[in-house]
Amino acid sequence: MEALEQEALKAIREAQDLEALKALRARYLGRKGLLTQEMKALAALPLEERRARGQALNALKEALEKALEEREKELEKEALEKALEGERLDVSLPGARLFAGGLHPITLMERELVEIFRALGYQAVEGPEVESEFFNFDALNIPEHHPARDMWDTFWLAGEGYGLEGPLGEEVRGRLLLRTHTSPMQVRYMVAHTPPFRILAPGRVFRFEQTDATHEAVFHQLEGLVVGEGITMAHLKGAIYELAQALFGPSSKVRFQPVYFPFVEPGAQFALWWPEGGKWLELGGAGMVHPKVFQAVDAYRERLGLPPAYRGVTGFAFGLGVERLAMLRYGVPDIRYFFGGRLKVLEQFKGVL
Amino acid sequence: MRVPFSWLKQYVPELESPEVLEERLAGLGFETDRMERLFRIPQGVVFARVLEAHPIPGTRLKRLVLEAEGVVEVVSGAENARKGIGVALALPGTELPGLGQKVGERVIQGVRSFGMALSPKELGVGEYGGGLLELPEDALPPGTPLAEAWPEEVVLDLEVTPNRPDALGLLGLARDLHALGYALVEPEAALRAEALPLPFALRVEDPEGAPHFTLAYAFGLKVGPSPLWMQRALFAAGMRPISNVVDVTNYVMLERAQPMHAFDLRFLGEGILVRRARPGERLRTLDGVERTLSPEDLVIAGWRGEESFPLGLAGVMGGAESEVREDTEAIALEVACFDPVSIRKTARRHGLRTEASHRFERGVDPLGQLPAQRRALSLLQALAGARVAQEILEEGRPKPPEPIPFRPHYANRLLGTAYPEAEQVAILKRLGCRVEGEGPAYWVTPPSHRLDLRLEEDLVEEVARIQGYETIPLDLPAFFPAPDNRGVEGPYRRERALKELLAGLGFQEVYTYSFADPQEAPLFRLPPYPLRLQNPLAPEKAALRTHLFPGLVRVLKENLDLDRPERALLFEVGRVYGVEGDRVAERTHLAGLLFGEGVGLPWEKEALGGFFLLKGHLEALLARLGLSLEVEAHPYPFLHPGVSGRVRVGGEERGFLGELHPEIARALELPRVWLFELRLPLPEAPFRFQDPSRYPPAFRDLAVVVPEATPYGEVERLLREAAGPHLESLELFDLYQGPPLKPGEKSLAFHLRFRHPERTLRDEEVEAAMAQVVAALKARGFGLRE
Repeated sequence: MEALEQEALKAIREAQDLEALKALRARYLGRKGLLTQEMKALAALPLEERRARGQALNALKEALEKALEEREKELEKEALEKALEGERLDVSLPGARLFAGGLHPITLMERELVEIFRALGYQAVEGPEVESEFFNFDALNIPEHHPARDMWDTFWLAGEGYGLEGPLGEEVRGRLLLRTHTSPMQVRYMVAHTPPFRILAPGRVFRFEQTDATHEAVFHQLEGLVVGEGITMAHLKGAIYELAQALFGPSSKVRFQPVYFPFVEPGAQFALWWPEGGKWLELGGAGMVHPKVFQAVDAYRERLGLPPAYRGVTGFAFGLGVERLAMLRYGVPDIRYFFGGRLKVLEQFKGVL
Repeated sequence: MRVPFSWLKQYVPELESPEVLEERLAGLGFETDRMERLFRIPQGVVFARVLEAHPIPGTRLKRLVLEAEGVVEVVSGAENARKGIGVALALPGTELPGLGQKVGERVIQGVRSFGMALSPKELGVGEYGGGLLELPEDALPPGTPLAEAWPEEVVLDLEVTPNRPDALGLLGLARDLHALGYALVEPEAALRAEALPLPFALRVEDPEGAPHFTLAYAFGLKVGPSPLWMQRALFAAGMRPISNVVDVTNYVMLERAQPMHAFDLRFLGEGILVRRARPGERLRTLDGVERTLSPEDLVIAGWRGEESFPLGLAGVMGGAESEVREDTEAIALEVACFDPVSIRKTARRHGLRTEASHRFERGVDPLGQLPAQRRALSLLQALAGARVAQEILEEGRPKPPEPIPFRPHYANRLLGTAYPEAEQVAILKRLGCRVEGEGPAYWVTPPSHRLDLRLEEDLVEEVARIQGYETIPLDLPAFFPAPDNRGVEGPYRRERALKELLAGLGFQEVYTYSFADPQEAPLFRLPPYPLRLQNPLAPEKAALRTHLFPGLVRVLKENLDLDRPERALLFEVGRVYGVEGDRVAERTHLAGLLFGEGVGLPWEKEALGGFFLLKGHLEALLARLGLSLEVEAHPYPFLHPGVSGRVRVGGEERGFLGELHPEIARALELPRVWLFELRLPLPEAPFRFQDPSRYPPAFRDLAVVVPEATPYGEVERLLREAAGPHLESLELFDLYQGPPLKPGEKSLAFHLRFRHPERTLRDEEVEAAMAQVVAALKARGFGLRE
């Protein structure tokens, strides 16, 4: 029996694959296996001997089963390892070539600005780029034949036959132009809404001028307008201060100087202190909404059958150039890159999240 | 506006330095574009008197005998080189900045020229190079180094906004500085006038065009070069000295922002008539241009009897004939206030922007005419030996400024400040306002030169400006917006979210110009662009775009030409401009472009690209928005006739998807390009949560045999309609053509998935649904493939 045990255990240890192991199981433990035969033979033995031999056989059976199981696990593991080795990939090869998209730097800059003001409760609204002379100029206290008109070199649309949709869907007549600033949205928004509110009006604007590294005929502005009872110039300064802090960190500051825009009084231009560059950045114009703008809005509302909504309120407005800020923030040397469409330029902004 | 520091300092003697001035002016609202240092008179340039001037025969040159330290001779080609004037002489060895070499002692036409008599340009004091700098012959002792008498100057080039015409005169700036606390020295106007009859009359026919008109008489004039100080001042201000009489008018204009004009009395006739021009009337202006006038132009005319003849374009430019010359002995000096709009129109019509029109169209001090007359006459007396008549003719009533109600507490309320009432009142007084009342409300009458002060808010700005905007605190307002402002941001947020999704799907955003080339519409097989610009920057930017895709195609082309990318997936969200009925219809579009190698493994040949890749992206985008799209064949002229689809979203037509027409691609030398363009905003998908079924789905497969030309979409629609309410999903998994199918047939194989929300579907139910599907297919004439 010892010889059988030795032989069997050796055979099991040396079995090369699961098939061989299966054969060994049959040979020893199968229905006609050697061990089974021995067990069957027990019945013919005397009781004493039967018990002793029975015990020995059981022990042998257990030992063989254990050996089989162990070897089986070993072989399974080897087989798996072999199979997996066959599936080895060169993980350093490049992946499938998907497209990695990206947003335009002006979209990114505008998004950053809108988010800064959104945190202060402002909401962004948009208006038309083809605008009427009324909203772009007259309602903003820039009458025809006033020298202030020279501050905005204007693209006029040819022909005078077309009307335009007003803030409440009404027809607007008059000369048409490409808006020279986002400020007409002040009027459009106020006509259709009542104070108090805080809004932003980002968008594309147009100036009739030749382009160079710092001038574009088409660019983007962000307009802000806050109207309500008791709105002050200190609130305007606070808003711009928040902008400076959010853009350039706690060591940034703001500077306000008087300037003339016909639709604000007092009027200001503002600069942000850019700590990194160590200089003031003249960023835009601002001021308290001119009473004549409120009057123009209420007069327009009246023509549409709406009650006046802008008596006794004050408000501030500001406007800034998005390109100028983006050039600085991202280190873009030439404003023409933004409309240049060159992917080598635009794709660099994928990392701006 | 050029501000010579030393000139301004005459009125504000306490001014510290140009740098301090720049800062003060910035705080007052006048930005300095740049600061210039002028007048580095080279060593070796001396003052010289011209004793004799002799033409050199056969040339246009003159031999000048000059008295400098000694008597020397130089040769000059200048027309104005003549006896009796003083000149700037560069002695041999002088280095002139513009010359590049030292002035030499040369023999010209047989004359030994001891140096060089200089033009303002050669001297480096002005632009004018067409003649010598002319000084009075007794301006300096001969031989004086000119640098001693002509010190350097710092000029601030100031931006003056259109609301401050008063600051187009140095005195206006001085008054603002005075409000900051500087002492103000008003220039003197000492005048010895004589009681004499005037040799002319004045008639103003158009008081609207010329609300105030004054005319003074000066005679016994000795016209000649202005003294050095005045020439230096005018050069610094960017003007060219002409003669003492003309220079005085310019000098006073620069001082007081009040243009004026001197007419040679010999050309006036009986007097001055201010009237509208007659149609077709002609006038040769000072610049030598013969102009045809229109009745909208206001003219200053002379008259004789019934006949009158234009002498100048009022407020814009004088006429050539009546200008002051060397032999002028008597003048009529016009100082007027004109209607700004009329001046602006005339200046525009004639394309003439002069120092005078610039000021008149912004407005001059309505009470400033007589003080300016007196100032000019006193200077004429001092510099040109003029005798002056006491009487000054005057037409029209100048309108004095109206008082404005002013409440200091309102100023604080608007500014968010706590400026004491007394301080505010003091500021307004220092600005020259008359302040009446005891408070808390006052009546404030601004000085007549401050045309911009009309409303209480204007006065509030004055208070803040003089206090300094830096004294306004920082604050944030707290309020609940009025209810009608809630949710106004929705459209903007959705558009932004769409952009983020597109970028996330792999699209690169580009911006293209809103302009389009009208010539390009046929190339892109588009109808003519309906909206054009009146004043385009260039002919190829003369129209407004109606579609975004040509811009994307152009961007691709430029990139291919420059950087040869292998592929691109681009998008733009932007406005397009069309016409609907008689209204401009501005819409927001989204366009996408795909070109080049698609999605795949870099080392394997097969990659997914073209139409179906772009469509897949569009489907993924819409799925992400909770929407789905249908594309049906529809011929768009700019798309490949076989790859051209109309896109519907939520059943509504939204735009197109397809391949750029090969002819367009060929014309632009482009490879194959796939495009879509949709009108935004996309509909909002109604959203409501649905509890997913917990019961097992049942699967069936089905292969439908249809004619090749039958669109997939039609088959899918039919299956969906026939499969009943329990069809959970339907998916195409095979598209086959070839044996055993007949030629001209194709097979579409689908996985169908049925499910009931509340119970397990019975087999019979699924079979019944399938039977309906099969029946519908049969009815439509489609076959089944077992």
